[in-house]
Amino acid sequence: MKPVATSIEEEAVVITHEDVDRAHDRVRVSSARAQRGFSSRARLLWLLVGPGVLVMLGENDGPSMLSYAATGAKFGIGFFIPFVALTFCMAIVVQEMTVRLGAATHRGHAELIFERFGPFWGWFSMIDLGVGNFLTLITEFIAIRAGLGFFGVPPWAAVLTALVVLYAALMSHRYWTWERITLTAAIFNLIFIPVALMTHPSWHSVGHAFITWQPMPGFNKDVLLIVLADIGATVTPWMLFFQQSATVDKGMTTKDIHFGRIDTVLGAALATAAAIATILATAPLLAHQMTADNFQAAEFAQALQPIIGRFGASLFALGMVEAGIVAAITISTSSAYAFGEVARKPHSLNLPMEEGKSFYAVLTLCAVAAAGIVLIPGLPLVYVVLVVNVVAVLAMPPALVFLFMLVNDKGVMGDLISPWWANALAAAVVFILTAAGILFGVSIIAPNIFAALGGT
Amino acid sequence: MVNKQPTQPSTSDQILVLSSLEHDQLANAKKHPIPRRHLKGPELLVLWTLRLYLLFMMAVVGYQVWIAAR
Repeated sequence: MKPVATSIEEEAVVITHEDVDRAHDRVRVSSARAQRGFSSRARLLWLLVGPGVLVMLGENDGPSMLSYAATGAKFGIGFFIPFVALTFCMAIVVQEMTVRLGAATHRGHAELIFERFGPFWGWFSMIDLGVGNFLTLITEFIAIRAGLGFFGVPPWAAVLTALVVLYAALMSHRYWTWERITLTAAIFNLIFIPVALMTHPSWHSVGHAFITWQPMPGFNKDVLLIVLADIGATVTPWMLFFQQSATVDKGMTTKDIHFGRIDTVLGAALATAAAIATILATAPLLAHQMTADNFQAAEFAQALQPIIGRFGASLFALGMVEAGIVAAITISTSSAYAFGEVARKPHSLNLPMEEGKSFYAVLTLCAVAAAGIVLIPGLPLVYVVLVVNVVAVLAMPPALVFLFMLVNDKGVMGDLISPWWANALAAAVVFILTAAGILFGVSIIAPNIFAALGGT
Repeated sequence: MVNKQPTQPSTSDQILVLSSLEHDQLANAKKHPIPRRHLKGPELLVLWTLRLYLLFMMAVVGYQVWIAAR
């Protein structure tokens, strides 16, 4: 069945600068696909990798790395090592759907929700995204400020540096160049791996934790909050909007879905490695009985300094800066894509400045506003950091139901609708997220019921 | 028929675009709306339930922040 997505064969064809840039990218993909052999397959992968790795490493952002650091410091090596790997498996299930949706429809996520379900539900979805993105953006600049603060960089200089990097990535006005610059920055997320190695983790304990999920933490509010924060560190609404829009902007088609899946799994594998490395890096703080309840990025680096030295602590602080910068780039881009899709304004990183004024303006304004808030003295920003991942988990079920409905909509997806097993996995993800959210709510407003459930 | 934009691409670029992009990949194609879907009762029930769940949980988060701030 042919998807409903519009056909314009019978109309005048209007070609834009954006189309030309995308066509140049597609020619390289077609040329690599036409050849046989390992090197051409590797080249094809190189050309098509991007949105998946960016979304996964982008989600290893400031608050996420802080969650993993707190997890390691409070619970050490145990249950949370395989748990974090499981949350990334959930992210793969969800993000794969956005690849299929983007490749099949050539439309962004916000655009599809608005057009298919109408503006009433579309605006709800946009409000969730806008609020979540802005809160998260603030935390990215907090992480950048705190990370660079470790080196004595004043807050205004730290924030300005991040904005300059964000703007520099946009300057080419080419999706391909932007993607490669951001990917290069994102790979530095793996900086947490050498930091973990410096702490000489017990690989026996790591292996044991992976196999047995032991030692298990107790069932109390603290554990529940960390569980929610770690889930919120891997699956969030902005990831759905970003990866689908980036898939469209990159020009991926149904022929590329296989590589889109590889891209997503590769990104998840890299992000899992960085996340687990962060838990391992801070696990010695538990052994040294250091309380990390209210630690921010710089405090973790300072606490680790006696264990891994100044160099290791500096790498940790730099990792926080990188996490914040890459996420600031991807999250502000996701906001700009969504705005353009809903407002029916041009929205592509291939747009020259004069054709994409509103797109670049939204992207820049989001980042500048969040950066500005971080510089206001006396604001209780610590609460934003504490709740941002929890808010992401709570906002995820409604976002996932829209995704679920779209990806099973034969009128939009044609023959690419989800198979039953993918639907079962997606339903399991929605169930886990909703159950975790409800448990969190019960622990706050009805502690007696929480205690009756075995919580302390 | 090929219309030209103010910053018009060259003829070779136009040929390149038409030969390498699918028709609905063109930026102009996105001006065509996708037909609206009628939401059924059970779907509306799920969407409203989740919307209320989210509003309620946001209030819980706000309460938690308020408690922490005190």
